Amino acid sequence: MSIMSYNGGDVIAMMGKNCVAIACDRRFGIQAQTVSTDFDKIFEMGPKLFVGLPGLATDTQTVAQRLKFRLNLYTLRENRAMKPKTFMSVVSNLLYEKRFGPYFIEPVVAGLDPKTNEPFICSLDLIGCPMVTDDFVVSGTASEQMYGMCESLWQPDLGPDDLFETISQALMNAVDRDAVSGWGAKGYVIEADKVTIKTLKARMD
Amino acid sequence: MSRLYDSRTTIFSPEGRLYQVEYAMEAIGHAGTCLGIIAEDGVLLAAERRNVHKLLDEGYFSDKIYKLHDNMACSVAGITSDANVLTNELRLIAQRYSLQYQEPIPCEQLVSWLCDIKQAYTQYGGLRPFGVSILYMGWDKHYGFQLYQSDPSGNYGGWKATCIGNNSSAAISMLKQEYKSEGVKLAEAMKLAVKVLSKSLDITKLTHEKVELATLTRDGNSCKITIMTATDVQKLIDEYEADEAKASAEKKEKEKASKS
Repeated sequence: MSIMSYNGGDVIAMMGKNCVAIACDRRFGIQAQTVSTDFDKIFEMGPKLFVGLPGLATDTQTVAQRLKFRLNLYTLRENRAMKPKTFMSVVSNLLYEKRFGPYFIEPVVAGLDPKTNEPFICSLDLIGCPMVTDDFVVSGTASEQMYGMCESLWQPDLGPDDLFETISQALMNAVDRDAVSGWGAKGYVIEADKVTIKTLKARMD
Repeated sequence: MSRLYDSRTTIFSPEGRLYQVEYAMEAIGHAGTCLGIIAEDGVLLAAERRNVHKLLDEGYFSDKIYKLHDNMACSVAGITSDANVLTNELRLIAQRYSLQYQEPIPCEQLVSWLCDIKQAYTQYGGLRPFGVSILYMGWDKHYGFQLYQSDPSGNYGGWKATCIGNNSSAAISMLKQEYKSEGVKLAEAMKLAVKVLSKSLDITKLTHEKVELATLTRDGNSCKITIMTATDVQKLIDEYEADEAKASAEKKEKEKASKS
């Protein structure tokens, strides 16, 4: 039994043209038993900043709350919104603090710079090693399936609608090949002027 | 003679006073005025900005009014560096509560917590008290809109309207006469704040550079803390001055009529 697959769950983020998309499945299970189908793993940290936290569910909740703590204090002190790249460092720092007793989370950050609206995505491992890419990042129990889907479907400079289609197909087909993922999916498309949240119609098994 | 009991915070004088705490309050009496008023639909804080200097590089947004949490803001009077330490601490206290209970901290609890810290500086450690008085405005689901004042002794109270800093006693007596607790909306309260500030500040003419005004209201299910823009503040000041001019003109008319 692996701790990272005890609850199951996945998150993908993709880079588009002046936009980013992030999507997750909605299953919360305890090994084979599915307990809930509305357990979202994506949290809003700022108007154009989202973090996905797949892994052990209790850590998903705790890390999201602790990150909000640090982000709130930053916003109050600096009187401005946090950049996604800075947020990545905050996540990295929080995770490395627990280097020898880690949170069982492999986060994904997606957002737009608050001033320039430049898109940004990155992922981190459970002890905070950051990895910034310019195409896509995946994390979760179906990561290998998601890598395959993203590698085939992703293209650079996709517009918001195409990006949404691509990320949805990549996520849904990957989680269908994983026993502990799925049971619904949710996608967020983040653009300079709006954030669109859509619940996807997926296989409920 | 009382000077013998001044040097340490932790001792009482023969008359049972804590001189260091009282001296701290003296320091605040010389600082820029802050006043707060509760209305039916919100709370406001108004503060006198003392740091207006041509050579100052105005980087920061707000001089005296600080947002503490989504549901609370405060205004400080006294030693600015002490105030910075306390506002930082207030923000941390509010976030820790929020992290533990996953809901915003009730206003009185935040005030009370900080006041316990302030009190410790009057009893332990041989450190001087903080030379800051703070006005807090906030909203919570238990008591709605609230206004609190705390001082260096660690004492705090809930108020409907109050003032701290320079000429605060003059402002408070004016508020006592003019404040109506029932049926006052925020707009009216703002007018009252401008009036009281204008009459109690030492400067001859009120301008938007000298005044900071912030309001806290409820917008559906969340609180909205707004620090008013320079243009809006100036508009309020202009309205007040127009009303004053009208009132004094009417008075002159009456006097002329009664004389003739």
